[in-house]
Amino acid sequence: MKIGVFICHCGENIGRTVDCPRVSKAAEWFPGVVHSVDYKYMCSDPGQNMIKDAIREKGLDAIVVGSCSPHMHEKTFRKAALDAGINPFLCEMANLREHVSWVHDDIEEATQKAIDLTRMAVEKVKRNQPLATIKVPVTKRTLVIGGGIAGIQAALDVANAGYEVVLVEKEPSIGGHMSQLSETFPTLDCSQCILTPRMVEVYQHPKIKLMTYSEVEKVEGFIGNFHVTIRQKARHIDASKCTGCGLCITKCPIRKKAFNSFEEGMAYRPAVYVPFPQAVPNIPVIDETVCTYYKNGKCGVCVKVCGREAIMFDQQDKLVTEEIGAIIMATGYKLYDISKKPDDSFIKGYGEYGYGKYKDVIDGLQFERIASASGPTSGEFKRPSDGKEPKKVVFIQCVGSRDDSKGFSYCSKICCMYTAKHAMLYKHKVHDGEAYVFYMDIRSGGKMYEEFVRRAIEEDGVKYVRGRVSKVYEQNGKYIVKGEDTIAGMPVEIEADMVVLATAMIAQENASTLAQTVGIPYDKYGFFNEAHPKLRPIESTTGGIFLAGACQSPKDIPESVAMASAAAAKTMVLFGSDMLEREPVVARVNELLCGGCFYCRKVCPYSAIEVREIKDRNGVVIKEVAYVNDGLCQGCGTCTATCPSKSVELMGFTNEQIFAQIAAL
Amino acid sequence: MDELRNHVKEMLANGTVAAVIGYKEAGSPMRTKPVIITAPEEAILLVFNEYCLNNLAVYLTKARVKNLARVNGTIKKLGIVAKPCDVHAVIALIQESQLKREDVYIISFNCNGVVKDYGETLTGETIASKCLHCDARQPLYHDKVFGELKDLPASPDEELAKIKSFDDMTSQERFEYFKNEFDKCIKCYACRAACPMCYCTQCITDKTIPRWVESSAHGRGNFSWNLIRAFHLSARCVGCGECERACPMDIPLSLINRKMLEVAKNDFAYLSGRNLETPTLVGSFDVKDKEEFIL
Ligand SMILES: Cc1cc2nc3c(=O)[nH]c(=O)nc-3n(C[C@H](O)[C@H](O)[C@H](O)COP(=O)(O)OP(=O)(O)OC[C@H]3O[C@@H](n4cnc5c(N)ncnc54)[C@H](O)[C@@H]3O)c2cc1C
Ligand code: SF4
Ligand code: SF4
Ligand code: SF4
Repeated sequence: MKIGVFICHCGENIGRTVDCPRVSKAAEWFPGVVHSVDYKYMCSDPGQNMIKDAIREKGLDAIVVGSCSPHMHEKTFRKAALDAGINPFLCEMANLREHVSWVHDDIEEATQKAIDLTRMAVEKVKRNQPLATIKVPVTKRTLVIGGGIAGIQAALDVANAGYEVVLVEKEPSIGGHMSQLSETFPTLDCSQCILTPRMVEVYQHPKIKLMTYSEVEKVEGFIGNFHVTIRQKARHIDASKCTGCGLCITKCPIRKKAFNSFEEGMAYRPAVYVPFPQAVPNIPVIDETVCTYYKNGKCGVCVKVCGREAIMFDQQDKLVTEEIGAIIMATGYKLYDISKKPDDSFIKGYGEYGYGKYKDVIDGLQFERIASASGPTSGEFKRPSDGKEPKKVVFIQCVGSRDDSKGFSYCSKICCMYTAKHAMLYKHKVHDGEAYVFYMDIRSGGKMYEEFVRRAIEEDGVKYVRGRVSKVYEQNGKYIVKGEDTIAGMPVEIEADMVVLATAMIAQENASTLAQTVGIPYDKYGFFNEAHPKLRPIESTTGGIFLAGACQSPKDIPESVAMASAAAAKTMVLFGSDMLEREPVVARVNELLCGGCFYCRKVCPYSAIEVREIKDRNGVVIKEVAYVNDGLCQGCGTCTATCPSKSVELMGFTNEQIFAQIAAL
Repeated sequence: MDELRNHVKEMLANGTVAAVIGYKEAGSPMRTKPVIITAPEEAILLVFNEYCLNNLAVYLTKARVKNLARVNGTIKKLGIVAKPCDVHAVIALIQESQLKREDVYIISFNCNGVVKDYGETLTGETIASKCLHCDARQPLYHDKVFGELKDLPASPDEELAKIKSFDDMTSQERFEYFKNEFDKCIKCYACRAACPMCYCTQCITDKTIPRWVESSAHGRGNFSWNLIRAFHLSARCVGCGECERACPMDIPLSLINRKMLEVAKNDFAYLSGRNLETPTLVGSFDVKDKEEFIL
């Protein structure tokens, strides 16, 4: 075997601490090396040409490049090798930058180490086998989990590009939080009015399979080839017969047993319901926990009124499997319920604000419902306790956000904006009312955002008080808000009729469980992690799984939509080719030697190991051996370390190669 | 004894099992050796007593024995006469996919202990040390069970005292102790041959590309061999003691095995080969696992 060695100075990066000419001279003497040179920038065009020319002219079989980390330029040099006609996996790198020049000062020692690393790489490359990249087919269907604005946008974009989409939403209707909002900053357009057409578009789109009241139960497989199991919860309504007439809803006698969660608990709903009038699909759900039929088998009023015989009390949950190529996570957020300290949590709660105790201390979403024309008060400002119009409203920002001691360290990002919006909406309707906002800073970065807040202060006369509130308590029918004005440097006390808390935006219920089911990492708060905070904000670290909207971190609507379109674009990039190429660094089992203990199978983090039966000529199983699925294997090497008889090896990193490297040291 | 013979005869005659691995007398009533019975009339040879020292589970994974079960393109059951402690090995083999439960027919006994060596009468002095800390004198799994439990002769558990004494030694002293013991090893691999859990098609020690374990019988190779054996058996060893009994150089292999058993038991509440439903300790992960040994 003829080996060529190419030592790179990386400008001064390596050259400063490593005597590169000496390394290349030393390498000339390594057994097998027929050509050894050093050069200022191996990765540059002339550098690469030196490699290619040497391969052609000297008939090299393999090359070793002593330069930076393989993370940086392995692809470059493998490509150069390929261009000159040798298998790209016969190119090895010795990391003389990150492992040598950047971590050592002494030129003598660093040079010696560089020589050693080069010798090791030479010994390894002698035992490299030519490998071929693995090709796996791509299923061009996308699964979108979560049907809020982010999920809706992503589904529409992918579907409009011509690919099939399965949209899974756990609630009976899509729409997410945006459907609950009254008007939206910074333009104050009606949220439902801009959202509903998109919801309908999803429903009618021939490429979108909408599965509401459903949850993802299992995700198997890998990029381009996921097998997803979805649980369709029993609605107890035959969706194929229901016309959405709503007779059952109006006639159901159970009127006051269940709170309406869409109205944030400020109204009741019957046992059979749609979450809100514009729901998509407009097919009701029967709530088994309150419906009389499930208690004593009686009632059945809905059965009698339904002209289409659509009521199905005995309908069961259904498991559906889908073949999927890419997954977009769009499960959104929830609001921090500060009335109680969550079990098992490091968060302490805000008992002192009386949320959950005083009816007129509400959170932002409850305010949205009160302000909404379709809400429980038909958009008139009436406070929950006695239905009177509040004349003085105090808004408290950063409840649970930016609070290391009792809440979350992060900024929920949107509360400054929606609080300004709330105060404005209130002032627009209650002209003689007074609105106070307690804030820490006003963070209004964004197009037209700062202008929006200024408008609230300057045109609508909202009074901003910089400082925190220490306590809210009831006295003679008023809520006494005790706080501090840090600009004036004095305590303030306001007698309010209603208090609105801008509570932190936190990770969706069970976000971490879902992340584990799907196989993506999440941060300590339960928000899904992006692959790189700057350069790969849309991808998760798992191939083929992308993130959109507030499931990744607090976001407003424009950001959620932008991210959703970006995620859709990422899936289209994936679907742009019929086959995916993968590095052939995968595990291989020696079936003759494998003893079939399957410890490898137990430890493989990617479930890449399967059982293969070896049969005799009569078809009787003689033994079972391990078998690696190339598509799933990520080349982590856990199996090779575990196998007691060393019957499974990692291609490109065989035990023989690694032993040879160690022996060369 | 007649019960055992009649039962095996019947099972062979009616085709329930293809063969039965059992014990027969070997030259003296106080000594036995393994026998594989395939014809009903040979069942008369079988014995079961305190001299049934071998752990016959080791044969279950041997290709020649497995072949006996393959009759006319189907797989029949293999019968095995197993002491309750040997049943642990059968279970461990099932857990490690070497066998299927439905492919073995376990004939076991309520066990009253075995001797250390052939030719001795069973007393507190001569009883095998593993019997002194036996936690399952009645088989945990069986298809047929014979015999009645009697009191075991009592004796102090010296093996446990010995491994406890290692805790007080410095690591240097411990190293010296085992170095002296391992120095005796002649690399005959009798321990491996006797071990029911050493079923690999090719042992890592026999690998030559690359060579993991120095093959010559000198200190370095002996150390790697004995330590690899120990590591590969940690939380898998069922404690039958066959390796130590097989070792011609009297190396106290049970001390190492027993220490590992104690660690698995105390730190992870795990005893190998006891339960078909629980996952093996090696290869399963629990967030509550102790991690203090991870540096
Ligand atoms: C009080 C308040 C006022 C606001 N006002 C404005 C405003 O004026 N302007 C603005 O731009 N933004 C505003 N926002 C922010 C806005 O609500 C969010 O930016 C937006 O809703 C995020 O969309 P999303 O799709 O990422 O998440 P969501 O709207 O939370 O949607 C997530 C969807 O996923 C579903 N889901 C969750 N888990 C699962 C699961 N496991 N399986 C299936 N489905 C699941 C949920 O049911 C939901 O339908 C406001 C927020 C609040 C709290
Ligand atoms: S290398 Fe890693 S991913 Fe591949 S089979 Fe082995 S353990 Fe599984
Ligand atoms: S660990 Fe090794 S011997 Fe066991 S099944 Fe896997 S490859 Fe085969
Ligand atoms: S039986 Fe004893 S001598 Fe033989 S290899 Fe095992 S430890 Fe060494």
